Amino acid sequence: MSTEELILEAKHIVKTFPAEGGKSLMANNDINLKFYRGRTLGLVGESGCGKSTFMRLLVALERPDRGDIIFQGESLSGLRGEKLRQSRRHIQMVFQDPNTSFNPKMRIRDIVCEPLMNYGKIKSGEKDKICSSLLKMVELPEEFMDRYPHSLSGGQRQRVAIARALALKPEVLILDEATSALDVSVQKTVIQLLGRLQKELNLAIGFICHDIALVASISDDVAVMYLGNLVEVIPGIKLGTEAQHPYTKALMGSLFDIHMDFHKKIESLKGDVPSPLDVPEGCPFQERCVHCMETCRKVRPALQNVSEDHQVACHLYQNIKKACP
Amino acid sequence: MLKIDHMTVAYKNVPTVLDFSMDMKPGQIIALVGESGSGKTTVIRAAMGLLPAAGKVTEGDIVFDGKSLLSYGPEQWRTFRGREISMIFQDSGAMMNPTRRVGSVFVEYLRTHEKISKKEAWKKGAAMLERMRLPDGDHVMRSYPFQLSGGMRQRVGIAMGMTYQPRLLLADEPTSALDVTTQAQIVRQMMELREDYHTGIIIVTHNIGVAAYMADHIIVMRNGRIEDQGDREQILHGSRNEYTRKLIASVPSVGGEWLEH
Repeated sequence: MSTEELILEAKHIVKTFPAEGGKSLMANNDINLKFYRGRTLGLVGESGCGKSTFMRLLVALERPDRGDIIFQGESLSGLRGEKLRQSRRHIQMVFQDPNTSFNPKMRIRDIVCEPLMNYGKIKSGEKDKICSSLLKMVELPEEFMDRYPHSLSGGQRQRVAIARALALKPEVLILDEATSALDVSVQKTVIQLLGRLQKELNLAIGFICHDIALVASISDDVAVMYLGNLVEVIPGIKLGTEAQHPYTKALMGSLFDIHMDFHKKIESLKGDVPSPLDVPEGCPFQERCVHCMETCRKVRPALQNVSEDHQVACHLYQNIKKACP
Repeated sequence: MLKIDHMTVAYKNVPTVLDFSMDMKPGQIIALVGESGSGKTTVIRAAMGLLPAAGKVTEGDIVFDGKSLLSYGPEQWRTFRGREISMIFQDSGAMMNPTRRVGSVFVEYLRTHEKISKKEAWKKGAAMLERMRLPDGDHVMRSYPFQLSGGMRQRVGIAMGMTYQPRLLLADEPTSALDVTTQAQIVRQMMELREDYHTGIIIVTHNIGVAAYMADHIIVMRNGRIEDQGDREQILHGSRNEYTRKLIASVPSVGGEWLEH
């Protein structure tokens, strides 16, 4: 892992939102994650666990309360105005629903070229040429540039969204549930496209998705979040077999996988995720954990190394190894 | 129990479901799978008599216990729905009036089906919610839909649908809006309905894993037609149908070499 080039790093990110009654909602609690060139980091967890907030912090749509985001050795959290605007070129994002992330009155040509125009990279006369090569990159016919978003299918629109995100040649691409609204066969073709582009452009990809099987099959590393906390970071290929955190195991146990043992009863956690308004002291997962011990109610477990590429935050594995800084 | 016989459904004369046939026994679980626009929701809406105004069964028949449902008038539908057949939706919260408490909706539902006092109906509703594993039924009855989590709302929908222990439950993407752990809870609960009440279920889902786990029989739909059908083993591993094979290969699987296919 150390041979790859570190491109983006989140350090001790804390983000809370004010809530009614003077309370505060803990969205991200001390998140540390690293993005490497040419690698995919998947982020999984249930609704409200803070995964989208984290990705929005990375693209500076939100500002962290504490902690820092470092891009190529430079801190992004302090940037304001023009410097901030310039820094946005490097980290681009694709959203879940292209219906709401595109202006319906703009033609595909203008949608795809808008970022380039914003940064003064091209003149209007060059739009046709640039748009045609960007559409080609995402395997769409160049005739599409005269169309409007509504006349494209969901999969085609997501390809356009990818073309727009990549127009500025960013180093990091963040995808927030970008394939979740697509049918499985279409999803697969979009994922294959992303894989090809990642290789060609040496992109670092952040992939948020609630489909754990999908994340596991495409991510080099998977970060599992629960109630604003990172509970486990594990290579995607090990997720199915070597996950250690009781929450990760519970997630894997509740998957309906087409290769599962259908004679085994499906496991499921009891109850619902507690409200992020009153995160308990100690381990965030204590209320639903079958292994809950006394220390779990008092001390929040830190992420510890299980092996070089696998960290878990759980008191059950406290004594294995000391965490790397 | 339920027999759909060469049914064609058209919206404004454009056929959306063509020549659909199935024969369902009591207590059986059948899954309809397929991609968006394949007509799977239209099939169960037709069986529930809930096609939108422009939709019509133009050919074939839907028969329940030997009687054709197509001849039913509004009164007959009203006694039939709820007692013999009921339906749960993708988000049961969305089917409820957001300005009314769950209790108010539930009491009204019960009182359209039987002559009981409001007080009795409230008690019956709360008890039913608790039977569907919602702790503190009274509290849920007093809540507005938005105050409940997605999983809780789905349990409210199941509780309403199961009050009169219908013999057939139609479920339209019942777990698609839920997180994986909640999805597992709801799937388990639906399986228990069959064990406890011998309820037959038709589930419409795009999640092939859920379909394979629950169903005795899987029907694969494409462009309004039945493309393929069979039991889990046949559909997942033994299908000769090219479309089914492609569909199965597109489903991501943990530890599977998904992208190499």
